Amino acid sequence: MLGFELSEPATLDEAFDLLADGDPGVRPMGGGTALMLMMKAQIFKPERLVSLRNVGGCFDGLRIDADRSHIRIGGMTTFAEIECSPMVLQHLPAVVRTMKTLANIRVRHVASVGGNLAHADPHLDLPPVWMTHAASIRIVSKTGERVIPVEDLFAGYYETTLEGGELIAEVIVPVRPEWTSTYVKVTTRSAHDWPALGIAVSANLQGRRVNDLRLVLSAALDRPTRLVAAENELRGSDLDEAALKRAGEAAVAEVDIHSDSRGSAAYKQHLLRVHLSRAMHSLVGV
Amino acid sequence: MTDARTIRFTLNGAPVSVSVMPHETLIEMLSLRLELKGARESCGQGLCGCCTVYVNGKSVSSCLYLAQLVDGANVVTIEGINDGARLDPVQEAFIEVGAFQCGFCTPGFIMMARELLDVHPNPTDDEIRHYLIGNLCRCSAYPEIVEAVKLAARRRAAGTAPALAQELSA
Repeated sequence: MLGFELSEPATLDEAFDLLADGDPGVRPMGGGTALMLMMKAQIFKPERLVSLRNVGGCFDGLRIDADRSHIRIGGMTTFAEIECSPMVLQHLPAVVRTMKTLANIRVRHVASVGGNLAHADPHLDLPPVWMTHAASIRIVSKTGERVIPVEDLFAGYYETTLEGGELIAEVIVPVRPEWTSTYVKVTTRSAHDWPALGIAVSANLQGRRVNDLRLVLSAALDRPTRLVAAENELRGSDLDEAALKRAGEAAVAEVDIHSDSRGSAAYKQHLLRVHLSRAMHSLVGV
Repeated sequence: MTDARTIRFTLNGAPVSVSVMPHETLIEMLSLRLELKGARESCGQGLCGCCTVYVNGKSVSSCLYLAQLVDGANVVTIEGINDGARLDPVQEAFIEVGAFQCGFCTPGFIMMARELLDVHPNPTDDEIRHYLIGNLCRCSAYPEIVEAVKLAARRRAAGTAPALAQELSA
């Protein structure tokens, strides 16, 4: 790696000052696992890294609101802390299951949930899961704060809608006991490869009837994307083969999947039809 | 602050201070400045586990960890897991089962296996294979590695690691 300055501000105000000049070579750092790979490959050559590990406050830890309506996960919370949290297991079990398929435990000891979102690599496993859980993020900056749905964070391949000096303080996930969720990581080479596609689903089911649902496709597109047309095919329907076939065709028609090293466009479209159906089946335990 | 900074931390139970550059990784500092050769950089991407060390009691890939970030921390390497007189039960088990061929990946597997046994004292084969998913053995000694972890688990459950002779006569 090339030389750079490493700062570890102890307060959020100090962090904002260190990030203030808008220079693309000045970047905040969460756990740093993804940035380290980019720096080692010299894709990213920072002038200054601002580690957020000491800023504390709402950036750290996991909380549930007093009315138990939302879980708040600090941006610097590590994946392992989320994976090992009994509260997350109780209310967001699909998040814990997703962690088991994500990198390895050493990376999960270090990688942070906020850094993962800000990285905006479309192959990442957690962002689509946050999206199907209808999660939001609280973004803070020197001049204020805003809350946006996770799906509004992504602007494209490795690109976000974060402005210079904005930081992801926390992920806010609604507690929805009537919903069930799952995430399917579809790999086409080795089992532990990056996904060719990721399919996250959440549904409010009544028997086989879909009262409401969210479907998100990741990895095969430049950003994790809601499959709105497929959702519309299933919302209010019974989960039968005809409905799932219509949803699969709608999903393939509404997104523009390209060929890459993990499969041709036609192959990945086929995987989308098959695995979307299987994911929905798995929610009803069939 | 692009210059070297002196950091102080605990390394294998003893206090150390080291002058390191901001862009140095933990594995570079350990192997080049501190002459600890057990953890070694192999894939350089956090995938293979050869550079596994503990930082504040948790396994990390030291190839993806900036050295300056261990300022004030407690760092343990493979060199620090036994008292110098007797090997750790996991080390003994790896030797007795023959859970390696070339040995390059072995320090990382042993560090991860110790942590695995802290989390799952009586692991199933699936738990062992899943916990070690981020450790690669190019000699493919995986069946013996799983056996060694199970042997170490039995030894830990028995309280102390019995001598091999006792085990064989039992």
